[in-house]
Formats: sequence, structure tokens, C-alpha cells
Amino acid sequence: MASYSAGRRVSFFTKIFVGGIAVVAVGVLIAELLTGAVAPDCSPQSIHPLDPLCIPGYAVRTLARMTIAYAFALGFALTYGIATAMSHRASHVLLPLLDIFQSVPVLGVVPVVFLIILGTGANPPVFNQEVASIILIFTAMAWAPTFGVIAGINAIPIDIKEAAHAYGMHGSRYLRQIVLPAVFPELVWSSILAWGGGWYLIPVEEHLSFGPPPNQTQVDLPGIGRYIALAALKADLGLALFGLIVLVGIILAIDRLIWKPLGVRAEKYKYETVAAPRTTATRQSSVVAGVRRYEDRLVSPVLTFFKSERYYAARVLEITRLKRIRHITERLRFPERITRIPLWGRLLSYTIFIGLVILGLIVTIISRSQSIESGISLLATDVTAFELVVITVLSLSRLIIAYAIALSWTLGAGILIARSQRLSRLLVPIFDIGQSIPATALFPLVVILLVDPFKNSPYLGFTLNLASVLLILTGMQWYLLFNIVGAVNGVPNDILEATTAYRIRGRRFVKEILIPASFPAILIGSIQAWGGGWNALIVSEYIGPNANVPGLGSFLVQASTRNPALATVEIYASLLVMTATVLIINRLVWRRLLRKADRYKFEA
Amino acid sequence: MSKPPEPILQIKDITKIYPGEGKSTTVLDHISFDVYKEFLCIVGPSGCGKSTLLRIIDGLDKPTGGQVLFHGQPITSPSPKIGVIFQTFALIPWKTVLGNVLMAISSASIQKEEQLKIAQKYIQDVGLEGFESSYPKELSGGMKQRVGIARALALQPEVLLMDEPFSSLDALTAENLRREVVEIWRDPAYPTGSVIMVTHNVQEAVEMADRVIVLSARPAKIVDDVKIDLERPRSPRDPTLYDLADRIISKIS
Repeated sequence: MASYSAGRRVSFFTKIFVGGIAVVAVGVLIAELLTGAVAPDCSPQSIHPLDPLCIPGYAVRTLARMTIAYAFALGFALTYGIATAMSHRASHVLLPLLDIFQSVPVLGVVPVVFLIILGTGANPPVFNQEVASIILIFTAMAWAPTFGVIAGINAIPIDIKEAAHAYGMHGSRYLRQIVLPAVFPELVWSSILAWGGGWYLIPVEEHLSFGPPPNQTQVDLPGIGRYIALAALKADLGLALFGLIVLVGIILAIDRLIWKPLGVRAEKYKYETVAAPRTTATRQSSVVAGVRRYEDRLVSPVLTFFKSERYYAARVLEITRLKRIRHITERLRFPERITRIPLWGRLLSYTIFIGLVILGLIVTIISRSQSIESGISLLATDVTAFELVVITVLSLSRLIIAYAIALSWTLGAGILIARSQRLSRLLVPIFDIGQSIPATALFPLVVILLVDPFKNSPYLGFTLNLASVLLILTGMQWYLLFNIVGAVNGVPNDILEATTAYRIRGRRFVKEILIPASFPAILIGSIQAWGGGWNALIVSEYIGPNANVPGLGSFLVQASTRNPALATVEIYASLLVMTATVLIINRLVWRRLLRKADRYKFEA
Repeated sequence: MSKPPEPILQIKDITKIYPGEGKSTTVLDHISFDVYKEFLCIVGPSGCGKSTLLRIIDGLDKPTGGQVLFHGQPITSPSPKIGVIFQTFALIPWKTVLGNVLMAISSASIQKEEQLKIAQKYIQDVGLEGFESSYPKELSGGMKQRVGIARALALQPEVLLMDEPFSSLDALTAENLRREVVEIWRDPAYPTGSVIMVTHNVQEAVEMADRVIVLSARPAKIVDDVKIDLERPRSPRDPTLYDLADRIISKIS
């Protein structure tokens, strides 16, 4: 019964973790009730903003922002997705536009949104700050569910559509009875991604300052992200870690209490034609049994948490992850569709995008009563196109180094997990927690450990570059890892048996079977990883006025501290360069390789 | 009086129990038989554990009790003297036809050139000449199974194990391939003496086999061991085959 005990060990670990968070939460709550008379001052003006008792209040504020942004993202996704999927003509423009939008690094949008909403006043109203913050979270959340809605509608089998029309289902009835149920499962899985994207912004956007030093615009919103950022500014490792653990606890709790039960339920709405990853018959049936038992307990999800058998909890964890990976795989089928879109659609979508950028530029500059020409001429004198190219190359090389490190360790780990069930049971939950930590939340820790101690040493340049690469790595590695693990687990059983029967073992097995089998997943993971890497790049290159390395990211951040007119143009310029680089790399490298990857897929 | 021939394979008291939560499932219940130079079919209702038994014989799966002897030696892992053909073909999608066949013999200590020659010979023998550099995706189901057969034959195995080799094919293709497999087995140029084929198609079993072992529903026990002494080549529409099949089907149900 070795396998049983191994499963037990894993969920024991999870249980302790979750239990620990619950105890801390209850403890804090009780402490707060007891000290109710001397409630801590948690407002932005407070002198003790890091009082741990402020945490519950902060969490509520952060969660409220996330929820509001999510509601908007959901509305956007349904509207945009249904429009795209229902009208063939509209999809010619809407699909490539969506592709461009999701290629814009979300963190790069931060200064733009702040410029538009907040202007340059020293103390913008709190309401405006909140609005800016919600818009930002929205930009991080909107794209995944939109792709989800489109994928869901596309997955409706033709016979169902025909039957619906034959029975006279049109308009809102068709929408309610056919479209929405079909979209539901995709929406659940993509919402998990959306929330992940939202959490990524939280540590960055709640505490920010920009503008030239004398009259800086300060964004200071109470929340968990601000807590971590302030702790880092004070170089307080303990408090930063505390904030981080609370943040991860909240993320994990939401994941387990909301998304996983919803995901299990969502599977009922799936059309059977969607090919499931092939696993062995025995594995599948026990998974199904696990799910069934899980559903019985949905009545009280909280009890599920603490009372459930560890064995099946680990099981459910495993399938939900596979499902998530599969969702991502479906989402990445879009590049194929985009290449089939007529030229006019593509041109129109690029025009719309550039038009939007110009519109934004005009709005920002007019709102600061400055002419566009003066801005552009300032750009020409201050920064040359050559400089932009150089810093792009510098940033790219950091991304490539981080990617090489990420690819080699995740491939190794993926192979190890595939070879050993025991290792898999031990490592996968650890990786799961690792990937739920938003990479940006680790930045303060890296600053405290790698930058502050070297402030006055000649090694600062090296540690800064190291820190930057490390931070980019945290933004990249999980996409690769989970895709590779999914692929390695997805090798069909008959192929495994054939290789055993014909005695292909050890190194040959890895080289001839495992690595080719994970090739499509490596590509898909790479596209996602590079997206995450660009995002991380923006914050990783600029840590402070005296701690930064030259690159696109630090250029973007520094731009916001310069002369306001110049800042606007520079911010837009670097954002455009970044988006263009992402799009070009996608087209030149990944899509070409993806076309070749077809041979490496197993037949359904 | 001549000495009775030595069995090639001895299946001795094989039991397989899958541990479950609470109660375990017995799949194979003390199965014993000997295999000589013959075409042996194992039939039984679906889900009775026929395929598990075949996997145990090849060393792909471990029995809970009992053992399999190959020329008196216990089998614990796949042997290069035993070839396997799978129901789902189990071809590697990124290897060509030649690559898939080579895969079987590349772990043997034969020179590269010799390996290539052997692979090409068997690809020809199964009628796939000219398709050496095709990928499995480009082939029809029947052709895929031909690759599977060539791969097993390239090992030049003494024993050939087949797990429902014709169930994924359409009826016409399956009929042709059945005849060809029997011809290959009867051809003295091939070293393969024993064939063990698992199938749920009783008609197919009586048409091809010298001997049919009938298993009961789970937990599987041997309920009958039928000799089929009909002359070869046989016609699949021979009425005596139908009678035999009827007798076996009545044992199963």
C-alpha cells in the first residue's frame, strides 16, 4: 500500500498548510475583537501601516477591487466573445485585435492608465486611484475569459446547433439554453487564469509613485499588495514574508473553495466530443470516482476542506490541474485560426489598435495642455531610436537567459516526475503552491536579499542583473513546468507498453519518447512563459533610482519620472516597441514551430 | 514411442488481484496452461482479464501469484524472444514506418546496417514496400497494423503475442490481415513457433487457432480448452467453424 501512504503524506502537507492559515486568520480575528477598543489605524496616513492587525481589512479591500474588476472582465468577455463567435465577419477583426491586446504586457499599461486617470496632481482623489487600480486589474483579467467564451462556443457540435435551429430556438433562448451552458466550463477554467493575472498586479499597483520628484503623484491604496511593498521599502524581511504568506493563503483558499468545486461541476456541461487527454483506463475510473465523491460533499465546501480524505483530495488536485492545462492548450489553438484570417481583417485590427494608442496619446497630452508636436520633438532630441534598439536587445538577452534556465530545469523536473510516481506525489503539490505565488510578490524579497546588502559594493551591477534574471525566471518557469508535466503524463498507455515490450529504457526512453512527446507542450509553454517574462521584465529592471539596469523595463519606469510631456511619448513608445517585439517573436519563432509540432501529437 | 515435446511457455497458477479501497478485485483466478508450437487463442467475455494475462506473459505486468516460464526460465521483464502486437497499434507518431520497426531491434546488439536490412525485409513482407518513410498519421488502420506486425516480426521472435490485433480494423481489412498472419506463421522461413492471440471474437478464434482456451467472466478461470483440428488453409465461411463457435459461445454465456 505504498501508493496510499504517499498520497497521504502529500495532503497532510496541504492540510497543515491550509490549517495553519485558518488558525492564523481566526487568531487575528479574535485579537482584533479583543483589542476592539484600540483598533489599529490602517489608513494610508497611519504611522504604523504594517500593523499585522490591519491585514484582514487590507485583504477585504484588495478582494473587493479584484471582484469588481472580475465582474467587468466577465461582462467584457461575454460580450466580446459572443460577438466574435456569432458573427463570422466580425471575427475577422475581433480575433486579431484580441491577439494584439493580449500581447501587450499588462504591467506596461500601468503608467498609461495612471497618466490618463490620475493626471499629475500631487494627491489624486482616492476614488480616482481606486478606479485606476480596478481598470488595471481588468486589463490583466479580461483576455483569458474572452478566449474561453470563444473556445466554448466553437466547441458546440454542429448537430446540437442544427437541432436547436430545427426546434426553433433563436435569439435569447438560444443564448440561454445553448450558448451559456456551453461557455460555462471554459469560463471557469479561464477565470482561474484571469484571477492569476489579477493577483500578479496586486503587489505592484497598490503602492506607486511617479512623476518628477518635487511633485510626485502618489498612489497609495490600502491592500495586501501595499503591505508587501511597504515592508520591502523598510527592508523588513519578516513582515514582507508575512504579507506574502497571507496573500498566498488567500489565493489558495479561493482556488480550492471556489474554482475547483466549480470546475468539477463544470465538467458536466462539456460536450463529449472534446477529446480528453488519454490516461489509462484504471486511472480514469478512479478519478471519476474521486470526482463523484467530491461532488457529494459540495454541500459544505468548508467541511470538505478539513474532513475530506487526503487520498482523493490529491486526486482531484491532479485532474483539475490537467483540465487547466488543457484549457490553455485550447486557447493556444487561436494562433492557427488567426493565420487564416483575410488580410483586410488583419490590417483593420492593426489600424484600430494603433488608432487607440494615438487616441490615448492625444487624451493624455491634451489633458496636460501640451501639444503633441512638442512631445514628439522632445522625444527626438532626448532619446534616439538607436537607444531604444540597444535597450531592447539588452532586455531580450535577459529574457533569453532566464528562458534557458527555466527550460532546462523544468524539462529535468518534468522527466523526473514522469519517471517516478512517488516523486510526482511529493513535488506536484509543492509546485502548485509555487505557481500560485504571483511573481511580483517575490520582488520585495529579492530586493531585500540581493540588492540592499550590496548597495555600496562593486558587485551591485552583477547582483542587479542576477536579480532581474531571477525575477524574470519566476514569471516564466511555471508555464513551462506545468505544460511539460501535462505532456509527459499524457503519453498514451499503449505507447508506454510498446516501449517497455521492445525494451526502450533509460536515456533512450527520454530522448526518443519523452522529449518528442513534450515538444508541442514545450512550445505552448514557451509562448506563455515569454508573455509572463515580458511582464516580469518591466518591474525587474527598475528596482529604485539607484538600483536599476538598462533595458526596456527600466526605460519605461524611468520615463514616468521625467518631464511630463516627454514622459507620455516615451511611455507610449516603449510600450509599442514591447508589443511589437512580442508579436514579432510570436510570429517568427513560435507559430512556425507550432506548425511543425503537429507530428508530435498523439492521435485521439 | 516418442517423448512428448517440451512446452515453450508454461503459465503456472497465475492469479492477479487489483487492490482497491475497501475491497480488492480478483481478475485472474489460478490460471495454468502450457503453450507448445501452436496457434493459441484466448477468448472470454470483455473485461475478464484476457489482456492482463497477455501482459503478464510478456512481463509487462506482474502477477499477484504464480509465474510464467519461458523454456523453464521465469519471465520478469519483456524478452527479446517475444514480440507483441497491440490492439491500438502503439506506433510512435514522430517516427516513420522504418523508425517504428527499427525501434524493436535497436536495443539488440546487431550492427546498424544489419538492423536496417532486417527492418526493410519485414516491411516488404507485410506489403508496405515504398512506405518506409511515411508517418503513421498518413496510413490507414490496416496499414498501421501491418507496421505493428512488421515491428514484432523484426525481432524474429519465438513467441508472438497479439492483443485483439484486428478489433480496431474494418471487417474487410481484418479478414485479409487474418489470412496473411496465419500464412506468415505457417511459413517455415519464419522462426516464430507459438502465437498467443487474445480476442473476444470467437469466430475469429476458431478460424485461426489450433487450440482455443475459454475464460469465464471475472474472476477469470479456464472453463474450456478446445482443440481445433481442421485442415489449413481454412475458409472463414466453413460451417464446421460456426458449430465450434456456437459451442464455445454457449460456454461463455
